[in-house]
Amino acid sequence: MSEEQIKKLLQEADATARRPVFSPIAAGRIRQRIRRRRVMRSAALTVAAAVVVIAAILGIICMRPQKPQPEQQRIASLETQVRELQVQTNATLKLVQEVLERDRQDRHLASLEAELSSIPEPMVEIERQVDKTAFLLVYQADKLYKELNQTESAVAAYREVIQLFPKNRWADVARERLSQIEKRQINKSERQGETRCKPGTA
Amino acid sequence: MSAMAKMSEEQALVERFRRGDDSAFDRIVERHSAELAAVANRLLGWPGDVDDIVQDVFVAAFTGLRAFRGQCSLRTWLFTIAINKCRSRRFRRRLRLVRVKDLEAVAGLDHGGDKAAIDEEHSARIRRAVQILPQKYREVVVLRYLQGLEIAEICELLGARVNAVQVRLNRARKRLKEQLGDLLEEKS
Repeated sequence: MSEEQIKKLLQEADATARRPVFSPIAAGRIRQRIRRRRVMRSAALTVAAAVVVIAAILGIICMRPQKPQPEQQRIASLETQVRELQVQTNATLKLVQEVLERDRQDRHLASLEAELSSIPEPMVEIERQVDKTAFLLVYQADKLYKELNQTESAVAAYREVIQLFPKNRWADVARERLSQIEKRQINKSERQGETRCKPGTA
Repeated sequence: MSAMAKMSEEQALVERFRRGDDSAFDRIVERHSAELAAVANRLLGWPGDVDDIVQDVFVAAFTGLRAFRGQCSLRTWLFTIAINKCRSRRFRRRLRLVRVKDLEAVAGLDHGGDKAAIDEEHSARIRRAVQILPQKYREVVVLRYLQGLEIAEICELLGARVNAVQVRLNRARKRLKEQLGDLLEEKS
């Protein structure tokens, strides 16, 4: 029995065996598989790291010297701890809310102050308005007297200024105008008297 | 195409892949997938479905091709990966059990002197004999007699010396003769 016989026998058996079945392989699919594997590997590493950290924390907690406690007592103490934590959390939340509210109020106040500072001083403003009104009255009176020759109306207007704003500088101006008008009227009446007295002028 | 020309073409493909040309890898896959499927099918005991293992081989090749230094041919390198993948196949035992069950079913049939059926039974017996060989013998038998590789190539693939491969082949033949002696006599 030679090697050739064995070879022939094996080849015959192989020829009648199931042919290998495999789907056409695309390099793209292989690349996709490699990418997926890399993602899985990084995810596994992350999970492993997280597990290690958690295990370490648990280990530290468990390593703490503790008195052996019965199960119920332990549960009760855990419940108490949870309640305390809850209370602390609530207090912290309340504090945070208060701080936020205070902050909001401060900001509101600051904005109001800024608004107020933009408004001019009220007394100064009133004085300015008074001054302006007195000036306008004097101006109107001047117009009545000089341009329209309405002396009576002008005198009434000057008097009104003196009456309404006696301490204002425009009241002084009005007084001066009145005295001028009076002087002119006196002069005028004097000139008329002289004319009437002269013979041959009538 | 001569062996030298083929090798230089493969080297060129590897170079193209290294430079980032993905179509080169497509070409490598296209060129070697059938042969790799055949060798995996034989090494795993003719399960038929070798889709996974062929993909595994190419995944490993894709990852390692940049580091491939060209000390052997690309085909040899891919064969080495395939052999290693087959060795590490975890469910080999399960496959074997299934196949043995199949073989027993075949053996239990009354063929009524039907030649084709008898031939099929004989083939199944031969394949089973190969399957139950120890791994190191099975590998050399498959590579030498079914894949038709030269002893030198097998040495390169398995990282063994010529003497060691020849010894394994002798021992494998001896075992096969023990198993299939009657068939061999019948054929001769």
